[in-house]
Amino acid sequence: MRYYLLKRLFLAIPVLWLLATLVFMLSRLLPGSYAAESILQEGNGYYAKGSAADRATAYQQYLIRTGQHLPLFYFSVSSGATPPDSLLRLLPEAAQHNLQQLAWHIGNWQEAYTFWRTLQELQLHAGPAELQALAPFLQTITTTTNVQQRVEAARAIIKYDTASPLARKLYRLALKLQQQHRLSFMIPSLRWHGTANQYHKWLTGILHGNLGNSYRDSRSVTDIIVETSANTFWIIFISMLLTTLAALELSIKLMQPRYKQWRKAVMPLLFLIDSIPLFVLALLLLVLFASPAFLQLFPVYGLGYGYGGQTRIEQITHTLPYLVLPILCLSLAHLPYLVNQFYNALSAAESMDYTRTARAKGLPYGLIIRKHMLRNALLPIITLLSDFLPALIAGSVIIETIFAIPGMGRLLVTSVQARDYPLLVAIVLVVAVAKVVSHVLADICYAYADPRIRYQSQA
Amino acid sequence: MKRLLYNFRQLWLEKLIFRLVTVYLALLVVLVLVLPWLPLPFAPNYLDLNHIFQPPFANVQGAGAAHWFGTDALGRDVLTETLYGARTGLFISLPVVITSTFIGLMLGAGAGFFGDNQLRISRAALLLSPLLLFPLFYFGLYLPLHIQQYHLPASYMWLSWGTLALLLGISWLLHLVLQRLAWFRYKAAFPLDMLIIRVIEVVSSVPWLILVLLLASFMPPSVMLLSLILIFTNWTHTARLARAEMLRIKAMPYMEAGRALGFTDARLVLKQALPNMMGPVLVAFGFSLAALLTLESTLSFLGIGLPPTIVSWGRTITGIRSNTSAWWLVAFPGGFLALTVLALQTFSYYLRLMLQNNSKI
Repeated sequence: MRYYLLKRLFLAIPVLWLLATLVFMLSRLLPGSYAAESILQEGNGYYAKGSAADRATAYQQYLIRTGQHLPLFYFSVSSGATPPDSLLRLLPEAAQHNLQQLAWHIGNWQEAYTFWRTLQELQLHAGPAELQALAPFLQTITTTTNVQQRVEAARAIIKYDTASPLARKLYRLALKLQQQHRLSFMIPSLRWHGTANQYHKWLTGILHGNLGNSYRDSRSVTDIIVETSANTFWIIFISMLLTTLAALELSIKLMQPRYKQWRKAVMPLLFLIDSIPLFVLALLLLVLFASPAFLQLFPVYGLGYGYGGQTRIEQITHTLPYLVLPILCLSLAHLPYLVNQFYNALSAAESMDYTRTARAKGLPYGLIIRKHMLRNALLPIITLLSDFLPALIAGSVIIETIFAIPGMGRLLVTSVQARDYPLLVAIVLVVAVAKVVSHVLADICYAYADPRIRYQSQA
Repeated sequence: MKRLLYNFRQLWLEKLIFRLVTVYLALLVVLVLVLPWLPLPFAPNYLDLNHIFQPPFANVQGAGAAHWFGTDALGRDVLTETLYGARTGLFISLPVVITSTFIGLMLGAGAGFFGDNQLRISRAALLLSPLLLFPLFYFGLYLPLHIQQYHLPASYMWLSWGTLALLLGISWLLHLVLQRLAWFRYKAAFPLDMLIIRVIEVVSSVPWLILVLLLASFMPPSVMLLSLILIFTNWTHTARLARAEMLRIKAMPYMEAGRALGFTDARLVLKQALPNMMGPVLVAFGFSLAALLTLESTLSFLGIGLPPTIVSWGRTITGIRSNTSAWWLVAFPGGFLALTVLALQTFSYYLRLMLQNNSKI
């Protein structure tokens, strides 16, 4: 048994690894990062007051601190015209684009980089007045794809400042680039980066139990997740318990012949509830029970803080009113499906011989269901419950966002909005692991529910 | 297919609710199609800033026309938003469901039909095709995209594709040459079933909503990209179903008869098996469409995936978060959404019931 379970956990590792790798790669490959948005943009965030150069330095330091200046993978294949990652990654995205464009047009990144550096130096050494006068030419020379225009812009810069050696150099380079127009960008080049890459660092970090740091506040991802997952865990655990018990009781009641009239009323009602999306249901309950316009029975948002007393019981009694509505929503939304499935499982057991025997013995019907049919319908019920956990996790994303509960679901939504990738990857991993664990738990429960099931290791 | 139509007619005649639901769905489709030509008093996204959070059915002075369903925080008419939200929802969900059902059907049916050792490919092709993946990606996708991004002349794009065609031609010749050697000519089994099962396993190892949220975070909000993400994550349900159905159908006598008559694999799959699994797939289609409508509005409610300029049910419903007493922001779009989902689920439910009953006889 133990061996079998270990084997199952072991087999889940490739899937988890593949998922995590895919997510990691996708998150790093696509353009647009948190840093570029919060640091480089003017009038945005902490660095709003600084000059462009200050912001660029802050950006570079940030990239190095978070390890984002490294290449992505052990090797990379890109066009031969692309500058290597060690040059490119430290630049802001707009500059990366300009340099790349130049390199692809020239077909040789070394020459493109010399030209681009000269241009940067020229801009760095120019005074404010000069910069303003040269702005249109500098703009042209950095963004144009036309060789002639580039040379003319360089000539215009020289005309403005004939003494500057940098301007001369720039003009010379522009002339030199004029003659070149190569197709070498067509040829792929393979670059080897070794272990100094983001993926390697991330993977070894995970193997050491370190999931990285959040982009937003540089806190350890593990700490953040441990902090938030407790709330989510309780919400999911309580609603799972509540839904299962309610669904069991309800389906047992509905099975009995004397509640036949109920069945006609309850089943369509459940069908109706099933068709209401979770977030609409949550908002409807919120409007009905927690808004000043109707009944204000419950507090609306958050978990209430600062007030929580010293003992655990005081804390629980304080937070409980905040949790009533979220848990109710989550349970109610998933109740119809479970009742329906439990009912089907019990119906299947009803047509069995042992049920007939029990009836012939004269047992009351309620007892037959509880003692005979339920025990036999347990296997499909366990399967259902193990599939039920992911649905609850997805539901908690919506519920926590609506009721502003500081849990993992809300964390997921805010990290998606802020593109906090280390946190996102970690949350996805936690969710995937939770799913694997729920399947393994289901396996254990199968063995308890039906002693005939033995997990033998078939070598 | 004929039986499906027969089932449909029988349901129509027997069940009043089924008739009702079908009429509702048909009317919804018509409404969505003719919506831009309807004489609505307000355009979608029209801001009536003088009348914000207007309760419904109130008589307003100076608004030009009445806001029957009230207005939201920016004075947008909830009636217009609700109707156009249906349009957005269906315009996104329907193509996504059709595409993902098609993909799922093909992959699932293929996996079920060929299994792990039915599909045999010569070793030459088996070796060459992974090698071709790189040029396919590099010359077919990477170079053209960058040529466009860096404003290189468009002729280079053709050059890139030309190179790709050349490489494909060369590898075809190489394939022909290798075929002359016995070792390469040997047809090895291709584990299609295992491959597809593994992919499904990876895609479904995280709940749907969370996977979509995650993928949407990598890309800028746009209808096109969101649709691609939804297709990529939604095909697995149909694939699982189609695989199971194919495994069932494969054991049927008529498949054996077809095989004995010497039908090709393509004919067996397309003409014999696929029409016979249309029923369950259609049922899944209905449920899938309902789930997508829900997911689309959930995403736009969370403000993820869709650009904020696009009218949708979820966007209107989000307005409640700034004013919890504006119940009409939830009630009307949410009610419409729930009603549509209910109709789709009822439709599929009856269809499934009928299919089950008929297959028993």
